[in-house]
Amino acid sequence: MSNTNKEVLLSVKHVDIAFNNEGKKFRAVKDANFDIYKGETFALVGESGSGKTTIGRAILRINECDKGEIVFKGKRISGKISKEEDTNVIRSIQMIFQDPAASLNERATIEYCISEGLYNFHLYKDEADRITKVDQALTSVGLLPEHKSRYPHEFSGGQRQRVGIARAMIMEPELIVADEPISALDVSIRAQVLNLMNKFKEEKGLTYLFIAHDLSVVRFIADRIAVIHHGRIVEIAESEELFRYPLHPYTISLLSAVPMPDPQIEKKKELVVYDELKRDLSGPKPVLQEIRPGHFIFANDREMAEYEAKLQVMEKEHEALGE
Amino acid sequence: MNENELFEFADFDETKSEHIAAPRYSYWGSVWKTFFRDRFTVFVSILLLFLICFAMIQPMISGYDPLVAPNVNNPSMRLQAPSAQYIFGTDNVGNSVFDAVWAGTRNSIIVSFVCTFINMVIGIAVGAVWGFSKRLDRIMIEVYNVLSNIPYLLLAMILQYILGAGFKPLIITMCCTDWIFVAYFIRTQVMIIRDREYNLASKCLGTSTGTMITKNILPYLISVIMTYISRTIPSYISAEVFLSYMGLGLGAKNASLGKLISQYTSYMNSYPHMFWIPVFILALISISLYIVGQKLSDAADPRTHM
Repeated sequence: MSNTNKEVLLSVKHVDIAFNNEGKKFRAVKDANFDIYKGETFALVGESGSGKTTIGRAILRINECDKGEIVFKGKRISGKISKEEDTNVIRSIQMIFQDPAASLNERATIEYCISEGLYNFHLYKDEADRITKVDQALTSVGLLPEHKSRYPHEFSGGQRQRVGIARAMIMEPELIVADEPISALDVSIRAQVLNLMNKFKEEKGLTYLFIAHDLSVVRFIADRIAVIHHGRIVEIAESEELFRYPLHPYTISLLSAVPMPDPQIEKKKELVVYDELKRDLSGPKPVLQEIRPGHFIFANDREMAEYEAKLQVMEKEHEALGE
Repeated sequence: MNENELFEFADFDETKSEHIAAPRYSYWGSVWKTFFRDRFTVFVSILLLFLICFAMIQPMISGYDPLVAPNVNNPSMRLQAPSAQYIFGTDNVGNSVFDAVWAGTRNSIIVSFVCTFINMVIGIAVGAVWGFSKRLDRIMIEVYNVLSNIPYLLLAMILQYILGAGFKPLIITMCCTDWIFVAYFIRTQVMIIRDREYNLASKCLGTSTGTMITKNILPYLISVIMTYISRTIPSYISAEVFLSYMGLGLGAKNASLGKLISQYTSYMNSYPHMFWIPVFILALISISLYIVGQKLSDAADPRTHM
């Protein structure tokens, strides 16, 4: 399946992000390269500190790119841009945060929290119009208009996260960067928030960049998945492809960490621990290469041959199973 | 009767579970409720209010002027013990100590409140911007290093020589460098909460720095600012007393607690009440100001509202 006929909404091109730490440069993201198509959910998966949030924040212009550029709807949005374009980017790209308790202003009412973006760009005709918009936003995430005068600390975690979603949705964005939106939530309400996000995706044709550390969640929400390790994207593929034919040892290790709700399987399961130092990294410098249409892997030519052989074996196995 | 008659479907209203039963929360309402919950605080507040009002009104009635001493040539009027007519007795020039003490208290309170107000307004405004801007920080840190290292007493003495004694020179003396300490304090507080996630969220929504300061940062700092004020007001009373005691304060024309204490020190052994009364009034006001300020800043912390 090729992606050439789809419209690219955002592309990250050879982006390097470094932090200065007392004169020493720490490269948090190394040569990140991917496209996000309009209307899809693109997941970025990796362990803590792998740079996934950093990429998300670079898209929102909070972190600066050292090298490379980020292009949104054909226009460069990284580096210095005009004020007008900045306003445009803010309105079109919104963020949902990880910790709903920390990401709401505790000293402001829900009404202010949700209207903040409206106030900033004066996106309402009059006071009555603003109230209507806030009411609609609250209702669309399953909250009540009477919650307007309440403060964030009066809400449960799930309700707060929905306030955060309403705050982003009121700006009518095209792309939402969701930075681990459910990892701080109670297991019982995770599905509620994911369903809400899917509802908006269908209704408004939203595009998501879904940042997560947990592959099991991502499988249900993402169309395509990028696996990132130590600031380096090691594998990109469509969700089903990645789960069926994981190639990079780090992807395999991440997949093995997903718990299965079956004690028999869990008992026999062998955890694969990924250790870069034990790998054979000889040969020329690896790059991100396309092994199957839409399936990219970070490898050099020698590794590429190994992956190819492995992939063919896996494909044969699947065929034998009648898939 | 069949099943359909016996049972009926109940309505399920999803919005019911979203309802919040707790009464409405109001920040300032909760602050006052918490503040007045403690009886001792109420007592001290009333005492403080009474002291301040009395100090403001009494000198207007008595019309005390330190330069006017109608009884100075009448030896029987000098250094009287407390009586019904002269509640705190009379001093070495035959004036009522009661009138002198309240006139001095009034001036000390005025000076300290004005200085606190000026320093706080300048300090908070500068500090909030200072804490936000990394570029400004590099310059302001140097300004802070210079201003904070000027010896306070030396500055006071030089300014008094240039400007003379009186209200305005004293207030200028106490404000010209002190705002930098408030600004530095606020800068540090702003830096602590500047990069919190909710400020990042505001930035993603395109909120300007000015709105961030007034809506996101300062409301969080109410409690720490109150604590700071509650320490500052008594400290300015002390500073005024100290400078007046050193002969650098309000000058001969204005009554001042510091000047009275320094005048009456020589009678400490012969007429101890003359020395101890202004000291006691000073302590009473400082301590009650401190207690009220402290309790108010506790009440301003929303964690105490539960």
